[in-house]
Formats: sequence, structure tokens, C-alpha cells
Amino acid sequence: MRGGRRRATLFAALVLASSLAGCGGGAKQEGAAAAAAAHEKKLNLYIWSAYMPQDVLDDFTKQTGIAVHFDLYDSNESVLEKLQSGVADYDLVVPSDYMVRILIHLSLIQPLAKDRLRGLENLDPRFLNKGFDPGNRFSLPYVWGTTGYGYSRERVKGTPASWAPLFDPANKGQILMLDDMRECFSAALKFLGESINTRDEKILRKAADLLKKQKPLVKTYNSSDFENILAAGDVTYAHGYNGQIAKVIAANPGRFGYVVPKEGATIWVDSVCVPAQARHTDGIYAFLNFLLDPKIDARIINAISYASGNGAALPFIKPEIVHDPAIYAPEEALARCEFVEDIGDATELMDEYWTEIKAQ
Amino acid sequence: MSRAGEARGRGSRGPFLRAHAWLIYLFLYAPIAILVVFSFNKATQTAVWQGFTTEWYGSLVHNELILTAVRNSLIVGVAATLLATVFGTLVALALGRYTFRGEGFTRNLLYLPIIIPEIVVGAALVTFFGVVGLRLSLVTVVIAHVVFSVSYVAIVVRARLSGFDRSLEEAALDLGARPLQTFWRVTLPLILPGIVSGALLVFTVSIDDYVITSFVAGVGATTLPLQIYSMLKVGVTPEVNAVSTLLLLLTVILIVIAQRLQQPPPEGVRD
Repeated sequence: MRGGRRRATLFAALVLASSLAGCGGGAKQEGAAAAAAAHEKKLNLYIWSAYMPQDVLDDFTKQTGIAVHFDLYDSNESVLEKLQSGVADYDLVVPSDYMVRILIHLSLIQPLAKDRLRGLENLDPRFLNKGFDPGNRFSLPYVWGTTGYGYSRERVKGTPASWAPLFDPANKGQILMLDDMRECFSAALKFLGESINTRDEKILRKAADLLKKQKPLVKTYNSSDFENILAAGDVTYAHGYNGQIAKVIAANPGRFGYVVPKEGATIWVDSVCVPAQARHTDGIYAFLNFLLDPKIDARIINAISYASGNGAALPFIKPEIVHDPAIYAPEEALARCEFVEDIGDATELMDEYWTEIKAQ
Repeated sequence: MSRAGEARGRGSRGPFLRAHAWLIYLFLYAPIAILVVFSFNKATQTAVWQGFTTEWYGSLVHNELILTAVRNSLIVGVAATLLATVFGTLVALALGRYTFRGEGFTRNLLYLPIIIPEIVVGAALVTFFGVVGLRLSLVTVVIAHVVFSVSYVAIVVRARLSGFDRSLEEAALDLGARPLQTFWRVTLPLILPGIVSGALLVFTVSIDDYVITSFVAGVGATTLPLQIYSMLKVGVTPEVNAVSTLLLLLTVILIVIAQRLQQPPPEGVRD
């Protein structure tokens, strides 16, 4: 699940926490204790809200005797903060792609013991071996989604297929854009037919100019409750993450739609990772193998309504989920979707342009 | 704005000031009123009104996650309140009773945990727990809550002590009561309203706290505010509004009680 909610505030806190927490030494006399904990019948999960149905966990406990405890987080940055503290007892976390990259870089998650995993071949190859974790040494894709836009079916004739309406002066005051630099640039870059991860200054300038021209058309920039603004009818088009918009569509049958524009969009994947300090090794691998079972995964997906990283689960997933473009992006659009990658120094340039746009 | 209002209001003071005050109150309370109203909204999307229902309050009772979070919040609230009240009262007594070098400094130091931004307190605490190797759990949440709330109790109790007639204690001692007896039978009853209102304040602050808790919560320590935040991630549901309304109600009740108790004791008690 992607979201910029409170990203800025938490980020400030994290810079501080990381500079301090880095020097903490929590891992001292833990050798013996860790060995004992490995076989303990326990598992502590740290996961997004509405990502894991209780009855599936209950079945796991019934099958294995391993008690699962879970806590919920509301941002990727919470995962970072907890793992950086060095004293959080979580065994599995489910961060988004960009956060997986950061966690690997900071050595906060551990390589997976692939020889203990059964059913890796079930995973969807489209979400394997990505830039944030080449070779999937650290992470297994759990669910994925896209950033497109939602629209009101009552006010839009036909089915839009392009980013064009979001840049069309005819829709002045009817557009909501995510308050997120990378997402806005991605929309503009894709509309221009470019890669969202370009580092080319000229192309970035062009995208920035497009966003500047778009600004007077935009009613509001919002990434925290864009779905409600769309649902309330305050805008006709809302740039946003598929998960939230899918909920608006489901709650108001026939009134709203979601588009992954044909030019392509950004795609995100949340992956299961094992924190470096995780101790309940037996429980961890039992649970990972449980998740790799296509039938189990399908049960989860049928309950939470996200697109699965487990390709083999597809036949067992309800057709209305598989055929919902707000959950499963159509194949041809998906082919043009890209993950948000680290663009190095170009970030600074983009930052500068973004400030220009927002200050305009 | 208020100055302009005053100047203009000099001639016809009443209506302008009153309207002004009402606007301010509207500004302060309208969002909260809307939250409460929407907790009775039939629609699953919060922004559109689709009729009255109490079903969200009903479904709260069956929401295992929320119930666990409520339980955690109550455990933390009660434990933090007890500990902070004892520590805070002792601090207030020490500061009120003795004069020592650096007293002023110590007194001012009390305000620090309240003034320091929560995010800094949270980051500092989590670093501290990391250094001493204390695993994050409900215990660390309780410790954190005690840290930021001892000051509230100490400040409220100290205020009570400053309006306190010392001669009563002296009289008790003169009449042969031992120091401990004097404390239990004279001092404590007199400062009790301060202690109770301090305790209620702590409970309210503890039940509400998000920022610090989010830093120091570990396995099995999801409190109600953390739970609400994580639910917001998948959209503001009316269930969130319902649970927020209940939280609000509890907070308001406790604050009203605390304020009642903070009022100066009636004359009869003093004499």
C-alpha cells in the first residue's frame, strides 16, 4: 500500500531517530536467547491495516501450533523506525518497494533462506527481480497495485483511457492530484510518453512545465483522503492509489470508475521481509511457506481485495476481483507501468521544479 | 481581528462581541460536531450523508482489533496514571516543602517534558530503550507515558500546595501526631483534589497520545490511537468516527471532572 500520509513529519523524526538510534547497541548477550527463540511457537507480524484476515491466521495456528500476533502500522516509515530502534520483536514486515530498498541498504532486513521455502515458483515473475531487490534475496511480493485515477461515471461520458483529462483545461476545477512529487511527475512524464525514472534534465523540465500549466486546473493536491473528496463529488477526476479508489467504487456501485492510463502509470508492490533481528525462525518459514500456498493466498486476496503477488493463486481468486481494473490493472496498461526507482541526483532537480510548481 | 472587534464594539459592545465569540466557538467545535454527526451516517464513505444509523457503534463491539486496542489503551492509561500520580505527587511535595540549592532550576525542569515536541521525546525514548536493550512492548509504552505525564501531576499538585495552609500541619504535629500520621490525615486529604485532577489529566493525555506511542510501541502494544491511524490508511470509515466519538466523550467527561476538582476548595475546608 502506498501513501504519503504524514511522510514529511515522520521523515523529520526519522532522520533524528536514525542518527541517534544508529549508535544504540541492543544486540549484546542475545546468542543463547536467540537460539531458544528460533523454535518458540510464536510469530510477530507487523503489517498494514486490512492486509491479513483473522480466520487465515487462525487456521495457520491450528495447523502449526504457532501463535500469531500482529500489530498494524500506517506508513512505511513506521516500519523503518521500529526496525531502526533495534528493540522491536517483529518477525515479518510488509513494506513497499522503495522502503525495501532502504531497509536492505541499512541492513535492517535479512536474506531469506531460500532452501527453507517451498513454492517460490508460484510467485508472479512480473514482480520478481525488481530494482529494489535484485534476485529477491530479501523480499517476496505480497500484493501490488497502481497509481492511476478515479473518476465520476455520472459526469464523464464513456470510459477514459488516457492521462489527457487530467491535463485538459476543459476540466478546470474538477481535478485532484496527489500531493506527492514523484507521483505527479510520473503522471506528467507518462503523458509525455517518457519513463517515470528519467534523469534527463530537458525531459524533466518539460514535465515540470506541463505540471505548471496544469496547476490552475487542479482543485486540490491531496494524498490523504483523496478518495473521500472524489466520493463526495467535489472533483470529477482524482489522481490516486488504486486500493482506496477501489473502496469508493465498491461502496457506490456504478457511480465511479478507475483508470490505469494507457500511457502507463506507477506500480507498487508490498513485499514480505524478515527483519534482521527477527528471532522466531521456525515460525517465520512456516508462515512464509503458508503464504506461498496458492489456495491460502487466494483466501487472503478474496478477503482483502488487493492484487496478489502469488501468480499461481489467480485461478482461486474471485473473478470479480481479477476483472476489476481498480484491483488488477489490465495487462496492456500494466506492461507500460514502472516502479518508482531511485533517480539519484535528478531528485534534487525534481525537488526544485516541484517547489516552483507548488509556489506558483 | 479581536482588536478591531473591541474598538468597534465600544459603542454597541454586546452584539459584536457575542457574534465574535460564537464564530470562534463555531470554528473550534464545528469539525468535532461533524465528526460526531457522521459517526451516525449510514454511508460507508464518510463525506456523504445517507441517513441515520447506530450500526457503527454496534459493529465496534464485534471488532476484535478495536477491542484489543481499547484494552491496551486502558491498561496503559491506568498503569501510567497510577505511576505518574505517585511520582508526580512526591515531586510536588518535595518542591513545595523544602528549599534547596537549584530549586528554581529543578522546578523549571518540570515543565520541559511538556514543552519539548512530542516527536523529540518519542525519538529520544526509543533511542534510550535501544541503548539499554529494553524490548518494545506495552511496558515501554507505559514508561513513556509516565515520562511525559509526571510533570502534569507535579504541576497541578504544586499549585494546590501553594494555596495550602501550613499551620494545619503544624497544629497536627503540635497536638502529637507523628509526621506520617500528619501526612495521611491532614496533608493528603487537603491536596487530594489536586492529585485526583492531576491523575485524570494524565489518563486523558495517555488515552489520546499518538506520536510518542507510535515510536515506542512494540509487539502487542497497539493502542487505540495507533489502531485508528492504521484504519485511516484504508480510508476514513464511519467506524473510525464512532470510536473517535466515544474517545472524545470519555476525554470530555474526565476533563470536566478534573476542572471541577481544580477549583479552589470551599471556605469551610480551609478553616
